[in-house]
Amino acid sequence: MVMIAVFAPVTLGLATLWLPREWIERRMAVAVAGPALAFVLLLSIAVGASDHLGAGKDAHHGDTATAFGSEHLTTGTLNWMPSLNINFAFLTDGLGLFFALLVSGVGVCIFLYARGYFGREGPTSADDLYRFYPTIGFFTTAMLGVVLADYTILTLLFWEMTSISSFLLIGWDRYDKKAVKLAMQAFFTTGLGGMGLFGGVLVFGNATGNIVEGGIWRWSQMLEHSEALQTALLNITNNPQLMWAFVLMFIGAGTKSAQFPFHYWLPGAMAAPTPVSAFLHSATMVKAGVFLVGRLFPVFAALPLFPQLIIPFGAATMLYGGVVALQQHDLKRIFAYTTVSQLGLLMAMYGLGAIDFEFVKDGKTLTAAAIDFDVTQIANHAFYKAPLFIAAGAIGHVLSRDITQLNGAFYKHKAICGTMMAAALGLAAVPGTISFQAKELFLYAVMHAAKVSPWLWIVMGMTIITAVCNVAICVRVWTTLLGLKGGMSEADAPEAHHDHHHEHPHEHGLLANLIWFPGAAIVSLQFLGGLFPGAFWGPIFGGFEQTAATGNYFYKGVPNLWYILTHAFESLPFWISMFCLVAGFFVGRSRLGRGAVKDFADHIYPVMYWLSVTGGGRCFRVVQTGNLKHYLLFVLGAMLLGFGWAVQLDISNGGGMLDAVSIEAARFFEYWPGILIGFIACLTAVLIPTTDSRIVRVVFLGATGFAVVALYLVYQAPDLALTQLMFEIISVILFVIVLRLLPKEKRGRDAGKLWRVPIAVAVGLAFGWMTLVAASNNRGNGAFADDGVTPLVEPSNPHAEPLGVTLAQHSYGLKTDEFGNTKLETAMSEGPDGVSERGGGGTNIVNVILVDFRGFDTLGEICVLGLAAMGVWSMLPHRRRKSDPKREVETDYPQDAIEPPLDDLGQGVTA
Amino acid sequence: MMSSPILRTANGIIFPLTLLFAFYMALKGHNFPGGGFIGGLIAAVALMLFRMSHGRDAMTRLMPIHPRVIVAAGLAIATLTGLFPMIYGPFFSVEQEAMPMLRSFAPYVNLGVGEPVHMPSALFFDLGVLLVVIGVSVGMIVRLGEEIAPDEEEVAQA
Repeated sequence: MVMIAVFAPVTLGLATLWLPREWIERRMAVAVAGPALAFVLLLSIAVGASDHLGAGKDAHHGDTATAFGSEHLTTGTLNWMPSLNINFAFLTDGLGLFFALLVSGVGVCIFLYARGYFGREGPTSADDLYRFYPTIGFFTTAMLGVVLADYTILTLLFWEMTSISSFLLIGWDRYDKKAVKLAMQAFFTTGLGGMGLFGGVLVFGNATGNIVEGGIWRWSQMLEHSEALQTALLNITNNPQLMWAFVLMFIGAGTKSAQFPFHYWLPGAMAAPTPVSAFLHSATMVKAGVFLVGRLFPVFAALPLFPQLIIPFGAATMLYGGVVALQQHDLKRIFAYTTVSQLGLLMAMYGLGAIDFEFVKDGKTLTAAAIDFDVTQIANHAFYKAPLFIAAGAIGHVLSRDITQLNGAFYKHKAICGTMMAAALGLAAVPGTISFQAKELFLYAVMHAAKVSPWLWIVMGMTIITAVCNVAICVRVWTTLLGLKGGMSEADAPEAHHDHHHEHPHEHGLLANLIWFPGAAIVSLQFLGGLFPGAFWGPIFGGFEQTAATGNYFYKGVPNLWYILTHAFESLPFWISMFCLVAGFFVGRSRLGRGAVKDFADHIYPVMYWLSVTGGGRCFRVVQTGNLKHYLLFVLGAMLLGFGWAVQLDISNGGGMLDAVSIEAARFFEYWPGILIGFIACLTAVLIPTTDSRIVRVVFLGATGFAVVALYLVYQAPDLALTQLMFEIISVILFVIVLRLLPKEKRGRDAGKLWRVPIAVAVGLAFGWMTLVAASNNRGNGAFADDGVTPLVEPSNPHAEPLGVTLAQHSYGLKTDEFGNTKLETAMSEGPDGVSERGGGGTNIVNVILVDFRGFDTLGEICVLGLAAMGVWSMLPHRRRKSDPKREVETDYPQDAIEPPLDDLGQGVTA
Repeated sequence: MMSSPILRTANGIIFPLTLLFAFYMALKGHNFPGGGFIGGLIAAVALMLFRMSHGRDAMTRLMPIHPRVIVAAGLAIATLTGLFPMIYGPFFSVEQEAMPMLRSFAPYVNLGVGEPVHMPSALFFDLGVLLVVIGVSVGMIVRLGEEIAPDEEEVAQA
């Protein structure tokens, strides 16, 4: 069922490709069915599992872990590569299910919003929607996979799929070079993190071999063995690998969740259409990193490095994002930086959770982690940020996305601006939104942790500044949209360029409301949750909480607004919140930070790109000379070295290779036709380099090949002979054709390079040696002493069979009897009664090897063949195309999309 | 290219026979010398000979589709044969157990006429190989041949 839920969005998204382009409404209906189906299925699982999840709710976080990875929560196992620990299995624990429901639920809203955003009458509406639904469906599936996958490698796989879909969606406008560059930037940055995650997962699996046989490759396993792992993590000096595993995984989480200084890709990603920004770059994908940290949290919180690494990065990101967000003009950039800020907060939240503090309750001293209701924090952000983006995209459609152009916009577009203003209240954490409670909980966490380690008061200060910035943004949005005094106006942006890019005609009709309604639907959850946390929020989201532990001392469930207000006088966080609201109000009205600033981090990627491209290019030119002779020399030399090493190893170990080979070589002279034809083959081969003409050389090469055909024939290998014959014919024809295409040959240039002769001879001898070794397989076959029983050469491995015999046994059903003779198994002969041959079901050993024993190889080989042919067809485009001017226009694609992006990347994003 | 009447006439008889022989080789391959790879190569040689003797336009008439379609079809057949046990095993087989990719079956299929025919699943895989080899060889040769052969259209225009 989880499997269906995960793959429904991409399947139905792709299914829309079969619908005609003009069917916009029906296309939307089919596509929306994907996330909707996923949502319903996951909801049913959540309802079914809520009993189990509730059980672990009151426990301390150390015990909570056991309530998760229970066996019955893992579903849908489908073997893929069991030997490599990669299978399809899904872990539907609280955290995963919550994220999956968030993704599919927000997904439904975004799928609907896309219809409103791309519109109906626009010049590219139909085309955009035609491309959009499959791509966004692909992303939805990937994201569901990330949060639900049980196998670590499977998570990684889906993780990379989200990066790819994000790349496709950021570079949505394929002809906009800047968008393509920004897409590359996001892809490279998150791809780098993906490599980190890959490394982390591998190191983790290898380092945990002493806890679980074969290592831990499943999240459920990790949670199951959390106690053993925590013990290992506390003695980290004995298990340094685990620490590196965590660091690598954090690199993955940090780049994906846009942590400072890797946050630059997220504002850049705003080049994507707004549905994408609202979905991927605020509500879901960027939370993948937070999710990963949350997944690791129950176990890795025991690691001393966990808070030390996460809190500084998270707090720095939070502060930086908040301060920069205030000084932006583009609505999408404002909200992008607040997203960065909020992601930092979420990271810091998990970091703080690793710190245990003491408190007194009912006269008893208890300890608890400084974290409370992590899922509430995450959900709260999604429920105000997605509506903000939805409204920002909508207002950008009808007016402008530049906040300085929007003075008094509320009176023109009430619904859109109303949605934005309501969501901005969530951003400011005004009492009455669930955001207020979430901020309160975070402040409590900081306060408790700071009592343990005083350094964290700095984090408290950073939080206050960030909160002030957020409130100020909210105030500016309200005053500007309502046209009040103190709002942003054109006077604040003297150098602004007026971009009326996607100036769509205002659409009418019921479906036109889809441009704002999904946002309003999402933001309503903010207020429902904020006003009725006990009746509404708690029952729904309480079951998913991973860290609802400390609720015992504070309040049962997410705190009530009334509770906070009445207990205000004894709590520091409440006064901090109030201070932030008041200070934010004045900052928002003031002239402070009204100009748009540039983010210095926007230069990180271009500079790194430039360094790696120029440096890499220099290395490339040294290693890749482009001269075929050099490559060949390297390949053959390396082969000879390896071969020499193997022979030396065998001789020093007293192996019988040398004797076996000499015996096999002696047997070669027993059969005269073979010698004669072999001589012809050698002669023609030696003649090849003696001529100057390419064509003559090809003819000699062909002659060698035909001699080999005859050789196969006299040794009774008709299959090989036939193949070789046909292959020689085709290769000679190909050679002749290609040689005629080459420029005229220069005579006498290659003469006199005698040092090539010994290499050629050595390579030939080495290959001959290898063949003989394969044929003899160290048994000294056929070479017996006079009694006919004792082998002359003592076999190094008495059970070894010659290669041919082994293969024949599997193919024909040949059997070695007790006397060591091989004979055909008669019982296995073919017949219509159902008894078939052994092994591959055929008696032609060559073919059975090709299509059965090594069938996978053959499949790979024909794929390579197809690729080679594709290479020919693409590198030599069809000649007729040249005379067809239409084709030329079609291929006019931004070829130089990879040029060093050193201009003002990230600024003035268009979408 | 060259176009001798002797070659053209002879090829009229050789060409169908060679194709038939190639197909025979591919079918017979599991128990006797032959196989998809060899069959494909033989057919490719036959088609090349046809291209040499009859010229490009005749070749286009004989094979109106681009060789890449043949390659794609071959790859699809081979891949589907490989995937078949993975779907058949857990869902349709008697044992209801997972089967590895490319696991082979060797059933005797009763066609209604004559004796039951030994039809291993590898046969279909081999047919895929046959099509890929034909498509790749013919495609490459014809494409490269166009580079050196005077383009009939351009000659006609000149």
